[in-house]
Amino acid sequence: MSIINYASREIQFKIVYYGPALCGKTTNLAYIHERISPANRGDLVSLATAADRTLFFDFLPLNAVVIKGFVTKFQLYTVPGQVIYNATRQLVLRSVDGIVFVADSQWEKMEDNVESFKNLEENLAQQNLSIDEIPYVLQYNKRDLTNIAPINYLEFLLNNRKRRVPSFEVISSTGQNVFASLNAVSQMLLHKFSKQEAPASGAATAVAVPVEPSSLPSPTLKPKIALPSLS
Amino acid sequence: MNCIPALTIENVATLDGILGDFLQKSDADLTVVIDRGGNVISQSGDGSVMDVTIIAALAAGSFAATQELARRIGEVEFNALYHQGNGSHIFMNSVDENTIMITVFGRRTTVGLVRFYSAAAALAVAELLKSLDPSAGHGFTFDASDVTANPIFVDR
Repeated sequence: MSIINYASREIQFKIVYYGPALCGKTTNLAYIHERISPANRGDLVSLATAADRTLFFDFLPLNAVVIKGFVTKFQLYTVPGQVIYNATRQLVLRSVDGIVFVADSQWEKMEDNVESFKNLEENLAQQNLSIDEIPYVLQYNKRDLTNIAPINYLEFLLNNRKRRVPSFEVISSTGQNVFASLNAVSQMLLHKFSKQEAPASGAATAVAVPVEPSSLPSPTLKPKIALPSLS
Repeated sequence: MNCIPALTIENVATLDGILGDFLQKSDADLTVVIDRGGNVISQSGDGSVMDVTIIAALAAGSFAATQELARRIGEVEFNALYHQGNGSHIFMNSVDENTIMITVFGRRTTVGLVRFYSAAAALAVAELLKSLDPSAGHGFTFDASDVTANPIFVDR
């Protein structure tokens, strides 16, 4: 839960980058750290193994003035994607305000994407939270690779819920749509606390426009692997 | 509509008083009250030599990680943690189920003194934070028009 301090006129939010192992969560934070004005960010802290795999989390604090008269602090975290580190993912999700789910677009990663999304729902449920109540956006990362699933398939797989969310075609290594997705989730969580909830303006740049789930197209390509159902 | 728990100017003054008094008695350098998600609620002392935001994120992680250790020996959690350095040390203690207090101290004092005074300070902080429950009408909301329409973060 975020908290507001009237004396220092500060408000804090926590955004977590979630997704399967090696999907590009840390690359997102590294790009943001490199490209945002130093005046608006702190140090990027990475607790990684010798092989540069995230062991605990990555952390990047950002500042902005987005609500009239208040300095807003956004704390960006990544979780370790490897399956064995689920206890750590639960810790990092504590008090989360917004989520960027980073999916790996490669065909062979589809099962990992679905498993990770289900794991996110389970870990939120442990905190009595529901994915349907938390502002989140989807990133379809690694769009520069050749063996990738088409967007409508990824949408069918991960964005086929009652509430459809903004989704972005991302190449985190070059920064394509990294800031767009961060801005979208930031706007969504700000509007969650505003008196009149409004759609995120960042959604205009998203690849998906909200439609009824029933009108979603079926995937045109068949997966090469058996996929677990996403409830 | 959702509310954000709000610290009023009076709340902050009270917190500053509790933490300032604790620092004076314990002779510690810095104390920070954080939630267990790593957000800074309040701080007192010299925070200029370190990034308090990062200390808070790492301390919350460290505190949470030891919960599993505690469970293995039949405890719910460890109420306090102490990290000993050569010249600077960190003491962390639980305030309530959502809040932790971090104290950074050096050679001028001892862990025993910090521990002794932090117990009373944590109790006083917990009492104050109880009153911030947004469901009790102490929340903060704002108009959608108060939120900037421009992109919040800009790629240089």
